[in-house]
Amino acid sequence: MSTFLLILITGVGLGALYFLVASGLSLIYGLMGVLNFAHGAFLTIGAFTGLWISTKVFPNPTTWTFIISMLAGGIAAGLFALLMEQLVINRLYNRHIDQALVTVGVSLVATALLGGWFGFDARFLPTPLWFTKAITIGDAIIPVDRFIYIGVATILLITMLSILKFTRIGLIIRAGVENRSMVTALGINVRLAFSTVFFIGGFAAGVGGVLISVFSYGVSPLMGGSWLIYGFIVVVVGGMGSVTGSAIAAMLIGVTNQFANYYLTGLGDFVVVIILAAVLLTKPSGLLGKVNH
Amino acid sequence: MLRWKYSRPLLIAITIIFAILPFVGNNPLSKAGLQQTMAVAFLFGALALTYDLLFGFTGLLSFGHALYFASGIYVTAILINDFNWHFLLAILGAIVFTSLLAALTGGAALRTSGITFAMVTLAFGQAGHVFISRDFGGFTNGDDGLPVNPDRLPDFFIGVVNTKYLYLLALGVLVFIYFAAWWITESSAGRVFAALRDNEQRVSVLGLNPNRFKLLSFVLSAAMAALIGAVMLIVSGSGSPRYAAADITIALLLMVILGGPVTRWGAVLGGILYSVLSTRLNVLSEGTAFDSLPSFIGGPLSEPAFTLGLIFILIVMFAPGGISGAYYRARFKYLNKGK
Amino acid sequence: MSSLEVKDLHVTINGSHILQGVNFFVPENKVTALLGRNGVGKSTTLKAIMGLNPGTGSIKLAGAEIVAMPTHKIVQMGLGYVPEDREIFASLTVKENLALAERDQKPNYDLVYSLFPELLTRTGQRAGTLSGGQQQMVAISRALLNQNKILLIDEPTKGLAPKLVTEVAKSLAHVADQATMLIVEQNLALVKAIAQNIIVMDQGKVVFEGGPENLQDESFVKSMLGVSGGHK
Repeated sequence: MSTFLLILITGVGLGALYFLVASGLSLIYGLMGVLNFAHGAFLTIGAFTGLWISTKVFPNPTTWTFIISMLAGGIAAGLFALLMEQLVINRLYNRHIDQALVTVGVSLVATALLGGWFGFDARFLPTPLWFTKAITIGDAIIPVDRFIYIGVATILLITMLSILKFTRIGLIIRAGVENRSMVTALGINVRLAFSTVFFIGGFAAGVGGVLISVFSYGVSPLMGGSWLIYGFIVVVVGGMGSVTGSAIAAMLIGVTNQFANYYLTGLGDFVVVIILAAVLLTKPSGLLGKVNH
Repeated sequence: MLRWKYSRPLLIAITIIFAILPFVGNNPLSKAGLQQTMAVAFLFGALALTYDLLFGFTGLLSFGHALYFASGIYVTAILINDFNWHFLLAILGAIVFTSLLAALTGGAALRTSGITFAMVTLAFGQAGHVFISRDFGGFTNGDDGLPVNPDRLPDFFIGVVNTKYLYLLALGVLVFIYFAAWWITESSAGRVFAALRDNEQRVSVLGLNPNRFKLLSFVLSAAMAALIGAVMLIVSGSGSPRYAAADITIALLLMVILGGPVTRWGAVLGGILYSVLSTRLNVLSEGTAFDSLPSFIGGPLSEPAFTLGLIFILIVMFAPGGISGAYYRARFKYLNKGK
Repeated sequence: MSSLEVKDLHVTINGSHILQGVNFFVPENKVTALLGRNGVGKSTTLKAIMGLNPGTGSIKLAGAEIVAMPTHKIVQMGLGYVPEDREIFASLTVKENLALAERDQKPNYDLVYSLFPELLTRTGQRAGTLSGGQQQMVAISRALLNQNKILLIDEPTKGLAPKLVTEVAKSLAHVADQATMLIVEQNLALVKAIAQNIIVMDQGKVVFEGGPENLQDESFVKSMLGVSGGHK
């Protein structure tokens, strides 16, 4: 029972991290039709920024410095995403395959840049001491970090849903995901929505990057790759363009992955691929998908 | 005529020169090092062509092509090492196995299209990579790689001094694949592939089943990738999980875009260039070429992915037809000069 | 000034040359009906004016050339659009659908709710769950919220039950007094009731421009439109 609880909560924690990566991906594809392969780079940039804050700016990690690291990582990644959107994505308006290809190029360049500057070895991100503690629930001993991921992801989920539900730009984004040309036919310039979505996506990925550094015990230019793939899987399963869908799918996949890894020794990745194939072959638009690209 | 009338004889002449060079006198290609680099480059040129058939020609953006390449490598190795098959039979076996694998995975993936198709193929490719690197069932030896038993290969492929025969083998495979691709694309099936890329509706209106042709294109390119994989096994001596990684498929995508899709020679050129560039850049970075630059600049420059990625971005944004596209555009202008 | 002048408009979509040199004039403050059989290019024409389809030629709205302008800028000049098939946002509520369409400082909700009181009771309802007629009300309301120089309306009564057709017709007639309207409509009774000018298209070109009295002539109707003169 205690192992069950541990695996469950780890799975949800993992799901929280997947959500941070997937939510932006989902909105970007949903609104703009751009398959953003550079999303892993957003993650990595956020992680390196967080690393810098937690080592060079504030050598002694406390809860507050960690929060600042997360915010800084998010903002750095968000700004990079915005830059990419303005310089490159914008010029390839409606050329979806070319946009996807260009993000592949950006991802290569960003990874090589970071690798060239910092090397490819993993660097440790210092965290406040209490991150490494564990709490006891019944019989189970559960590391505290899981709850941090879940907490941060929940805050971001609520923030994103609030922006979507209660602001005008959020309204434009929700409508644009459904029918972009009709939004322009109402006299609305969707460019601002595009930039917003890229910034939000980058921000979430950047925050995710900092947390992933804690989870994976290191920051490295190569960390983006495998998380990006999982991000895509979550987006496809959850439905493109749906933040809630990403959240649900992320939980599903995180939990399944952990249980499969434990009870079926190491088959976690495999099982996830099977879930993906199953969803795609039965409901290709994903669980809560609303996009018709 | 857009094609220069001497282009075909020129290509044949170039190929013959490349074939002969390692065997005559003292030129760069008499060194085993460059021979090995070029052999690998030829194979990637051929592999890029198989990807062009899929993506450039038929319009199927697959992110899992590496799976079939790796399948060719590993099945050949396993059949030779563990089942003691004759190496030629093993290659054939690998091609058959991979074709079946492609029929299955392709059949499933083709029930979707566009971005979803890309994701399914990515997932299958990933599954393959995981299978190989985690060594399920003990077949693949995991991250340590799977060397092929050299005793089971003909002597003239073993040993550094015989690198020139590996070089010839690779060049031969490239030529074979080039002809195969040429034959396929010029055939009536090939025309359907091209039609599928442009307008699928017209194909079904003609009474042809689009999915059958897509599957055909998928299986054919996978089978060819398997053959190339088998030869890569011989040329490099062992299989490795990285051949199944998504990085390889992404590299293929870059190669096709670099050289220009649909033109056939574009993909081959792109493959060879990319392969040579990244090997050369790797060597440069391990050496001292970039040490004189401030590390701010020298660091990234010594990473091949940086330069290649930058070139890639520039091509996609400003020269979408790649090298061959630029060539044909220039030739078109030249032909229409003063008209 | 809120007239619309179209000259030599060509539109090619996916290789098909759909509009082959369309010329017409929509006089201001009048209702002009765009008529023709199915597939002659009426919706394509409206979309080209909107900038949703790329076209060549000249389109002048209130004297300004808009043929190469991006859609949102054209609409901001004062254009209200009711597309064929309504295209309301199913996942948004009625209130949100209308809010999205607001451009003016004081959008005219009074007009909208007086024409369509039913919408007032359904503001929180997801638009995707509305009936066809109610969705059409939302679609039309969007165009009425702002002060528009011109309204482009594409088959507003398509697929609606007769009672609803009457309601929609009444609301359009109400608005017609104060607006320049270009309306694509198959329902000839409605056209006869509100149009002051008709344009007939055939095979991607305009073949007739004139007064609505021509619709009283059965042979005209049959030859131009291939239908017998409309019913209620």
